Amino acid sequence: MIKIKGLWWKALGAIIFLYVLIGGMTVPLNSGITYTNPSNAKTGQRIVMEVTGYNTHFKSALQNRAWLKADSSHFIQATSVQQNDEMHVLLHFDLPFTMPSKEKVQPLTLIIDNEIDGAFVQPNALFVTVSDSLQNDLSQWQTLQLGSLNKKSGLTFPYRNILNETIRNTFFHVALWFAMFILLIIGLYHAIQYLRTGIYDHDIQSATINKVAIMYGVFGLITGSIWAKFTWNTFWTTDVKLNMTAVAMLIYLAYLVLRGASTDTDRRAKLSASYSIFAFLALIPLVFVIPRLTDSLHPGNGGNPALGGEDLDNTLRLFFYPSIIALVLLGMWMSQLKIRYERLQEKIFQNQK
Amino acid sequence: MNIIKVKDIFIKELSVEFRQKFALGGIFLFAATVVFIIYKSFNNINPREWTILLWIIMLFAGLNAVVKSFLQEKKETYLYYYTLFDPVDLMIAKLLYNFVFLIFLFCMILGFMTIFSGFPVKLPGLFVSGSVLGILGIAIVFTFVSVISAADNTNATLMSILALPLVLPIVMLLLKISAVSVRLLSDTSVNEDVMLLAGVDSVLLGAMLLLFPSLWRS
Repeated sequence: MIKIKGLWWKALGAIIFLYVLIGGMTVPLNSGITYTNPSNAKTGQRIVMEVTGYNTHFKSALQNRAWLKADSSHFIQATSVQQNDEMHVLLHFDLPFTMPSKEKVQPLTLIIDNEIDGAFVQPNALFVTVSDSLQNDLSQWQTLQLGSLNKKSGLTFPYRNILNETIRNTFFHVALWFAMFILLIIGLYHAIQYLRTGIYDHDIQSATINKVAIMYGVFGLITGSIWAKFTWNTFWTTDVKLNMTAVAMLIYLAYLVLRGASTDTDRRAKLSASYSIFAFLALIPLVFVIPRLTDSLHPGNGGNPALGGEDLDNTLRLFFYPSIIALVLLGMWMSQLKIRYERLQEKIFQNQK
Repeated sequence: MNIIKVKDIFIKELSVEFRQKFALGGIFLFAATVVFIIYKSFNNINPREWTILLWIIMLFAGLNAVVKSFLQEKKETYLYYYTLFDPVDLMIAKLLYNFVFLIFLFCMILGFMTIFSGFPVKLPGLFVSGSVLGILGIAIVFTFVSVISAADNTNATLMSILALPLVLPIVMLLLKISAVSVRLLSDTSVNEDVMLLAGVDSVLLGAMLLLFPSLWRS
């Protein structure tokens, strides 16, 4: 008979991970703008702007509206909107002669709104060069009531330029690092317990959990590398965070070498427990302190937005936090299998004596 | 901790070292030869290569030197020490000895580098403080790892396998500090790096002092 008791957390881990996998992969992205043409114009010009959308419904929408925004109180509405199909739209703008600020070249933000997709924006869609004119008439600029914009219904992930669909990797890449750290802390706890009590079972647990954590670390590097290929167009950059995690992985791979090197189980247990405590302490400045001091391409560094800013909105949170929990539970499950195997081996070894 | 005992072990280590002159000479010969090889193959070393080579030579010469400090002694000697000293005293004495030895080695390598390829350091204060803290960190890591590999009495290869990854964060900080001190980079927050190095040193030292007694008993 299968004992149900004690199995619940494994089932929970699997179910949550399945939820993350299905939800994280199927929830659509918010509508966005991938391409606009032209990107430059002069004041006073009449322009036709060609826009390619992403996940948009221009054709099925009843009313498409578009604005160019100079600042929070200066907007120009498109005079007409021609939709060719769901993804493409032509916008006609009459650019005013005067711009609200004095600068020579000013970027304008494009805002498109319809009742299916809601409102979405493309920053710096059009750069307007101020041509010499003596007019000083801001009357063509309008203000826009934010309440009049539509909101998209249903669950969507935020659309980010460059990131696009790869934003889903947050649930795997970032969550893997969090799960790795939680597992390493559990492994550390068992290492300390081993040194305090000398019970061999703690060594088995510490070693196995650390191994699963190292595996997560390798997965984290791989998923990060693939992500970097799509966003930064290279598998590896000189980014501090990347290099520091590479060092961290090397330190922990040395841990595996140490465990493989000695055959005497008691001595191996003592050495690897000490080493893992030492390695974990060496890891703290590596992963948490040094990257914060230098610029990095990663969110949270060098002016990039951090987790919890716009990058992690509530819909992402809906999958991100469960993903961490699921990965920790699955990691514990994996290590439990190995721990049971090691315990049996130890028992056989004891009986032989 | 007993200062007198620490001093005794320290002096004992020094006298053992000076009695085995061939080992001491061997390490310095190693350093001199490597510097000469590098000088002959590069001909003209620019400041960037200078800092990198300095630390690479330092790392490997230092590794060679520290491996001995625990491995040269026999198991029986340890048993004898065990009856005489507190493990913390022994640890601190060994660390102190390694630190002094590495500083000495560093000065030698620096001297050779200066003779063969000049001295590009523009900010000597930063260079010295960064180097001393970095060498302290290297000494801590190497001492700790040599304890582990001595306890495991397998061989010296384990030592280099374990020591190099552990010392990497310290070396990366060191490379940055030395790059700033030869004016390759201008960085206003370099003092934070020096503080960070000091922080890493103290954390590792604390961990080592806590862990050593339990390793020692085996």
